[in-house]
Amino acid sequence: MEKEILKFTNVTIGYGKKKIIENISVIISENDFIGIVGPNGAGKTTFLKTLLGNLKPLSGTIQKNSHRFGYVPQRDTVQPLLPYTVYDVVMMGRYSLMGIFGKPTKKDWDAVEASLEHVGIQHLKNYNYNSLSGGQRQRTLIARALAVEPNILILDEPTNGMDTPSHYSLLNLISRLHDDNKLTILLVSHLLSDVANGVKKLILMDKDFFQFGNIDDVLSEENLQKTYSSEFHVNQINGEYVITSIHRN
Amino acid sequence: METVNQVLEFFPYAVLGGILAGMICGFLGIFVVSQRVVFLGATLTQVSVAGVAFSFLHLINIEGMVASLLGVTITEDSFLHNFEPAFFSLLFAVIVVLIFSQTYKQKVLTQDGILGIIFVVAVALRIMFIQKSPIAEVSEVESILKGDILFIGQSQFFTLAGIFLFTLLIFTIFQKQLKFVTFDAESASAHGINSRLWLLLFYIVVGMGISLTTRFVGDVFTFAYLIIPASIGLLVSKKVSHVFLIAVIAGGIIPPISIFLAFKYDFSSGPAAVVTMFILFLLVYGYKKLRGS
Repeated sequence: MEKEILKFTNVTIGYGKKKIIENISVIISENDFIGIVGPNGAGKTTFLKTLLGNLKPLSGTIQKNSHRFGYVPQRDTVQPLLPYTVYDVVMMGRYSLMGIFGKPTKKDWDAVEASLEHVGIQHLKNYNYNSLSGGQRQRTLIARALAVEPNILILDEPTNGMDTPSHYSLLNLISRLHDDNKLTILLVSHLLSDVANGVKKLILMDKDFFQFGNIDDVLSEENLQKTYSSEFHVNQINGEYVITSIHRN
Repeated sequence: METVNQVLEFFPYAVLGGILAGMICGFLGIFVVSQRVVFLGATLTQVSVAGVAFSFLHLINIEGMVASLLGVTITEDSFLHNFEPAFFSLLFAVIVVLIFSQTYKQKVLTQDGILGIIFVVAVALRIMFIQKSPIAEVSEVESILKGDILFIGQSQFFTLAGIFLFTLLIFTIFQKQLKFVTFDAESASAHGINSRLWLLLFYIVVGMGISLTTRFVGDVFTFAYLIIPASIGLLVSKKVSHVFLIAVIAGGIIPPISIFLAFKYDFSSGPAAVVTMFILFLLVYGYKKLRGS
């Protein structure tokens, strides 16, 4: 039995007085690999903001054990004009650990080097972040999140807008981080295929619909129909999920 | 050489103050440009001018209150004599910054839209305040509240030096936090840094710098020096530290040159400083284009 890190009990999320999803109950434990899937506008970002503590829940309770988040935002939200290097960006991950007046120490430099090595971009550390490809930028942001030495790594739509090789290379990296480092991972995506064959647990969400559980229990044609208001076939071939959308004219 | 000597003899604080004002704007401008909040810079300059215009109504006797607290007379104290316009300029700017920092809470209006509303209201209020000012000549009020490099005296110079040091101090001490929240506020929050608080501090420092600089050197100078030196820095350099260095140096070098040119060819110093900076920008841009980078 893995240790619980975060527990949502009957939580309602939303902005101001506007409720987006009610009665969410989720337990995130150590070594979980959870996919969060739903159509655009389903409330995934609102759920993430609530989980990260940036947004207060409208009702319900959230219990948090001692933990540290590593957060990888959507790549398009980070478009700096200043020519920060990859090293500068990854070092930012250490800032919250240094205290208000603290300066980087050897421990911080080592952690940054280790994070860069982990995601395979050590050779790019002196490059400008702006000059990198989409995949390299995403790896930089993952390295920054790893530099926090997190208990939970949260990735928001990490493969958005990537070409196919970069897309799968990044998914492999995320799986490796979970398998090798036993890192708890929350992977947000609007692409079912991104998460179905990687994660252990799944959150399917749309407005007024929320399902959480082991992937085998949650990933059903009925639940997908409720989430996407569209019909799907869910099959397993050689242990891999194959999900096809049924288009009817 | 004779003109240079005359400028230094008659306007020593104008030259030194112009250098400081240019350096303050060059430094803050990097954040304004890189944060893509250029319109905030434009709005704050107009709000500051409206604040100065408000002070001419003499509705609240701030100078008198401070003088009685300090036990001095206003006429004896040159700093206090100019306190009220600077105070209201700063107050108006800080209020706008506080409003702007809360705009993330609503999703109905864009930040640009909100700044646009504040901008036009500030311009309108300025006109209304001037019309009700007890000073008879509207053109006289306009010239006072718009500021002029040549009017920089000893007390304005020391105030500018204070702003410059204060800004550098804040951005040096809290370099990490301000760097992270201006780069990626969402992730900074997720990683345990209070982005709202640090962004508020950031905008207050920027607002203070812009409002007080506007008070002393005018809105056109301030806005131009927020944008152009930072743009030159970003054009030329591929290192963050060099961007700051180039913007601050460009901001500091051009004002004394332009004061000299304005004096020699009988132009207003503020517009001359803007045009000279723009010429430098064109030269840098042309050089970059010719080199194909």
